[in-house]
Amino acid sequence: MEYASIEREIHVQASPEVVFEVVSRPEHLKEWWPDDISLDSSAPGATGELIWGDDANPRANVVAMTVVESDPPRRFAFRWTHAIDEEAEVGNSLLVVFELTPTDTGTSLRMTETGFREMGWEAAVLEAAYVDHVQGWDHFIPRLRTYADRLVASS
Amino acid sequence: MTPTVGPAIDDDLWSAVGDPTRRRMLDLLLSGGAGTATSLSEQLPVTRQAVAKHLGVLDRVGLVHATPYGREKRYHVDDEQFARAVAQLSAVGATWDARLQRIKRIAEAIERSQDDTDNENDNEKR
Repeated sequence: MEYASIEREIHVQASPEVVFEVVSRPEHLKEWWPDDISLDSSAPGATGELIWGDDANPRANVVAMTVVESDPPRRFAFRWTHAIDEEAEVGNSLLVVFELTPTDTGTSLRMTETGFREMGWEAAVLEAAYVDHVQGWDHFIPRLRTYADRLVASS
Repeated sequence: MTPTVGPAIDDDLWSAVGDPTRRRMLDLLLSGGAGTATSLSEQLPVTRQAVAKHLGVLDRVGLVHATPYGREKRYHVDDEQFARAVAQLSAVGATWDARLQRIKRIAEAIERSQDDTDNENDNEKR
């Protein structure tokens, strides 16, 4: 069985405006995804780097990210995983689309990631098989808690 | 292949573990320590010849290494390369669930902090 995309939908108890900021602004992206990010803006066409470090090298993994679409607070789309010196296009990158729909109590957030098959990958299949082996996200949880506490404390 | 170091580049490694039979073989090698084409084929619904071919693919990308074992070769998983494959996976396609949970928690924390601020402003007005 082969999957061409990863699709997820969650409910967030926050307004679409807030959720849009969190999924699109570099300072927030950094808190839920890479170790570091260089992205000047969230406007379509903006290009930057997603950066992951390891013990030896703070830039052990660096891939490009290019904003494709920004329609606050409804839709934010970007391509990523292309090489830094390449233009993002079908076949060299994955496309992530966030779609936000207001609800009575917050926002329904839908995420779709496509492009695996075009890149010759079966990453979605890999995900299912290896999710048990991946423990690397544990260190994000304490970091997130600190971040959330700080936001609440600063209010 | 581009010279950039990143989770996007290792197409060979990805396609090597992209095959369900090869993943099952890796699982068996990880849990059993080591195995031969014969011992693996006994635990899988594929022929010894097919297993040998898959082992060749895994060997070429460095996920397994072979040592002579009688008339056969005995294979074990290369821990470092396997960790690399898993790390790439975590950086690329997988774990959107974890990311979305973080998005949710951050957004809800911001929302709460804004509500608190609104309440304080209301109180000041009173």
